[in-house]
Amino acid sequence: MTAALAIPKLIDAFLHAKSEAFHDWVSRRPMKLAVFCVAAIVLGTGIYGAVMGSWRAPLQALYTGIKLPLAILLTTAGNGLLNGMLAPLLGLNVTFRQSLAAVLVSFAIASLVLAALSPVALFLVWNTPPLTSGTRLTSPEYGFLQLALAVFVALAGVTGNVRLLPVLRQWAQNAAAPRKVLLAWLAVNLFLGSQICWVLRPFIWDSKRPVEFIGPEYFQGSFFETVFQAAWRLICP
Amino acid sequence: MLGDDPFERLAIPNAMVAVDAILRHPRRVMFQLRQPVAGRLIVFMILVSVACSLVYGVVAGTFSGGSQLWIAPVKMSLGLMLSALICLPSLYIFTCLSGSQARLTEVSGLLSGLLMLMTILLIGFAPVVWIFSQSTDSLPWMGALHLTFWFIATVFGLRFLEAGFSHSQARSRAGFYTWVVIFVLVAVQMTAALRPILGTSQTFLPQEKKFFLTHWGDCMSAGESSGNSRR
Repeated sequence: MTAALAIPKLIDAFLHAKSEAFHDWVSRRPMKLAVFCVAAIVLGTGIYGAVMGSWRAPLQALYTGIKLPLAILLTTAGNGLLNGMLAPLLGLNVTFRQSLAAVLVSFAIASLVLAALSPVALFLVWNTPPLTSGTRLTSPEYGFLQLALAVFVALAGVTGNVRLLPVLRQWAQNAAAPRKVLLAWLAVNLFLGSQICWVLRPFIWDSKRPVEFIGPEYFQGSFFETVFQAAWRLICP
Repeated sequence: MLGDDPFERLAIPNAMVAVDAILRHPRRVMFQLRQPVAGRLIVFMILVSVACSLVYGVVAGTFSGGSQLWIAPVKMSLGLMLSALICLPSLYIFTCLSGSQARLTEVSGLLSGLLMLMTILLIGFAPVVWIFSQSTDSLPWMGALHLTFWFIATVFGLRFLEAGFSHSQARSRAGFYTWVVIFVLVAVQMTAALRPILGTSQTFLPQEKKFFLTHWGDCMSAGESSGNSRR
């Protein structure tokens, strides 16, 4: 009971924290902070993922609710070493643990934003007819749903990173270093994250397949090859 | 001045400290390379470079699997060391001509530092490489990915070398920049000289000589025509 009451207080303190407080937590208690952030990621993106998947079926909601946090945690783990190396090389005096905790803070904030946007996403999902009835893959409502869900993720990501920048400034030896580190982290996380999401697809609805955790083509092709080929087809039809 | 900070004067007793120092306190490495015991640090850095390039090579070898699991690491490690060895004399000469006071040991040490920084960064990229190696069959795509990661790692390595160079009282950096071009050209030609590193072949080394641009062009054409070019 006490723990249940403490969770909203923790989330409140986390969301209200100033950069000095984050800096203090990351520097002094990186493990405790990491545990909280992982919990926030699992909860926040889990709820949002479930909402995304609920458009198709309850089972897809469960799968996407597991896969979305998994994608974030795998990205963080996969890039942990690289992010930890890039930070000092670009002028930020942080340890591996601290860099990992800082990345987790950014993802945790983004996850909490996504959790907060979940009711809106649910409203959109609820109002979009399923693919089996009126909606087709080419329908504008399907396009709108995809776009809205992606915009929410982008919005959450931007918020997380905007909150992280002042935290990074606390460690910086010069003004340019935090921006460089943030951009480098963003680039590598986006690069790996896109491919992990590609491997873990489908997240919303694969009309050609039954509901399943990961599609049969999970290790076939890459996100960037597909984007490149699509762009190539557009330029040279 | 190097060594003004007492921390920079702390000895580097083992390879792990060397890795940490080059990431966080590169000036400490630069200072230690000027000390009489610099040889030991150079050995540490070369050993770490070999170990890291072997690990990265194994990850790169998972793209084709089979015998490439040992051929790719051997070729990567060999290619990296050969490139450094081929370019070391020119680096030393250009350093001297630039008015630098650095001696051959220090120049060798800075080059070892470049290799170590490059390869530990490549280890950081290894999980990303593994994910893509398992996902795609496209040889041109994997080749481009490895080259991009190699390029990023080289940029950081060269930054370390340039910082070391700047502490050696060199009057001009023109020689250093010329050497950078030479080093990059040698390293990329090594990808053609030791081909195939990602794909498979009947022989360990190629039977015909090829310029790296021709080799890359051939890989692109083969990738486009076959669709599945892993084997």
